[in-house]
Amino acid sequence: MKIAVFAAAVVGVLAGPGVAEPGGRVTGTVTVTEPDGKTGDAVDVIVYVVGFTEPPTAEVTTVSQKGRKFVPDLVAITVNERVAFPNFDPFLHNVFSQSGARKFDLGSYPRGESKDKQFPQAGVVDVYCNIHPEMAATILVLPNRRHVRTDARGHFDIQGVPPGDWTVFAYARRATKPTSAKVTVKPNAETVVALELARGAEVVHLNKYGEKYHEQTTVYPNGH
Amino acid sequence: MRIALAFLVVVCCAPRLGFAGRSFYGWLYGTEVLPERGIELQTWILETNDRYGTHAKESSIWWGPLIGVTDQLELALPIELEWVTQDNPTRTLFTFRRFGIEARYRLASADPADASRFVPLLRVAAKRDVSVRDDVRVEGDLVTSYEVGPFQAQIDLGFVSDITPHTHHSDARPGAGLSLRLAEGLRFGGEVYSEISFESRAETWAAAGPDLSWTHGRFWFSGAVGIGLYHVKVAPRAMWGIAF
Repeated sequence: MKIAVFAAAVVGVLAGPGVAEPGGRVTGTVTVTEPDGKTGDAVDVIVYVVGFTEPPTAEVTTVSQKGRKFVPDLVAITVNERVAFPNFDPFLHNVFSQSGARKFDLGSYPRGESKDKQFPQAGVVDVYCNIHPEMAATILVLPNRRHVRTDARGHFDIQGVPPGDWTVFAYARRATKPTSAKVTVKPNAETVVALELARGAEVVHLNKYGEKYHEQTTVYPNGH
Repeated sequence: MRIALAFLVVVCCAPRLGFAGRSFYGWLYGTEVLPERGIELQTWILETNDRYGTHAKESSIWWGPLIGVTDQLELALPIELEWVTQDNPTRTLFTFRRFGIEARYRLASADPADASRFVPLLRVAAKRDVSVRDDVRVEGDLVTSYEVGPFQAQIDLGFVSDITPHTHHSDARPGAGLSLRLAEGLRFGGEVYSEISFESRAETWAAAGPDLSWTHGRFWFSGAVGIGLYHVKVAPRAMWGIAF
C-alpha cells in the first residue's frame, strides 16, 4: 500500500506540462532480487519515464480473467486510456478496485462477457476479484506513453523520450520499494541506466466490503 | 521533502467516492443501484403519527430482496406490513398489506467516475393489496441527484395510485434533500417530504427534518426524523440494507 501511494504520488506530482517530440532513448537493465535474496527473473517489470504528459492513445489494454488469474497481472497505460476485463473462465468473476486513484466495481459476469473501465487519474490501481482472493493485478496509470515492459533478460528500451531532465522508474508487482534514477535525455542520444528492484511477498488484501475472504480457493492452471 | 509533498498531494486529492448508503435520505429514494448480479436485503421502517388532525398512527415495514440485473437496473420484490390505529387504541390493525415488484433504473453510468454530477433514476412498482383484493397499487418516482464536492442535493418526484375497478385514488409524493459528507461513509443532511392527495386535502401531509446515512462494508443505513409541517406530528423513517 505504501508503495502504491508513493508510486501514485510520483506519477501524479512529477507530471509536468506536455512537451513535443522527437527526442532520445532511455535504455538499460533492471535486476530483480527475490525474497530469498537470489537474483530473479526480470520479466513482468514495467519501466517508465515521468516528468511530462502526453495524450492517451485510443488503444484498449486487455487484462483477461483466465484460470483464476489476471493475465497479465501488471499493465501500464496512459491517463484516460481504457482497460478491458474479459472473463474466459467457466464461472463468474467480480473485478473491483478500492485504490484511491480509481475505485470501481464491475459486478459479477460470466464467461464470454467483458467490461471495461477508463482511468482518468494517474496512480497505481490494484485490481482484485471479489470471489477469488488469489486473483490480483496492478494497473499503472501513467502521465505519458513512455513506458515499456522489460524483456526476459531485464533489458528495456524507451524511445521517443522528449529532451529534458526526467525520472525513470521500474515497477513490478510485489516490489518492496520503488526504484528510480534521474536521467538527462538529449535529442537523438541514448541514455543508459541500471535499476535494481527487490520483490517481496504478495500482500494479503480484503474483499470489496473490506472483509477477509472466507477461504483461499484452488488455483487452476490456465485454460482449465 | 519532495516525497512528503507528493504524499500529501495524493492523500488530499485522491477521489473519495461517496459510498455512503444506497440512499442518503430517509424518505427519498437514492440514485445508486446494485452492481450486476449483486444481491441485497433491504428493510424500511416508517411511521406517521397524528396524521390528518386526528390521532391516526401508522407504522409500516417494507422488506425485500434486491437483485442487480445490470449495472444500471435493479429489481426489488417487496412485502409490506402495516400497523394502524386511530383515536381508540384498542382498535388497531396489523396486517400483511401488500406485495409486488419494482424496478429502479439509473439513467447514468453506475460508476461515479464515469457518470456526470447530475444523475437521474426512474423507479416503477406494481403491488397487490392483500386486504383489498381488487386493488392494484402503481408507484413511480423520478429521482435526480446532483453532487459537487461533499454536497449532494436530491429531488424525488413520486406518485402513488391505488386502482380498483370502481375507484381511483392518487397521491403525489414530492421530496427534496441536501446531504453533506462528514467522513468516508458518513453523511448528514436535511430533507422535506410530503404526500399530497388529489382527492382529499385532509389526507395531505408534509414533514421536514434532519437525516443521517452511514455505510460500513456490506451494510448501510439511512434515516430521517420528519417534524410535522402539515397534518402530521412526527414522521420518522429508517432504511437499511445488507449486500451479499
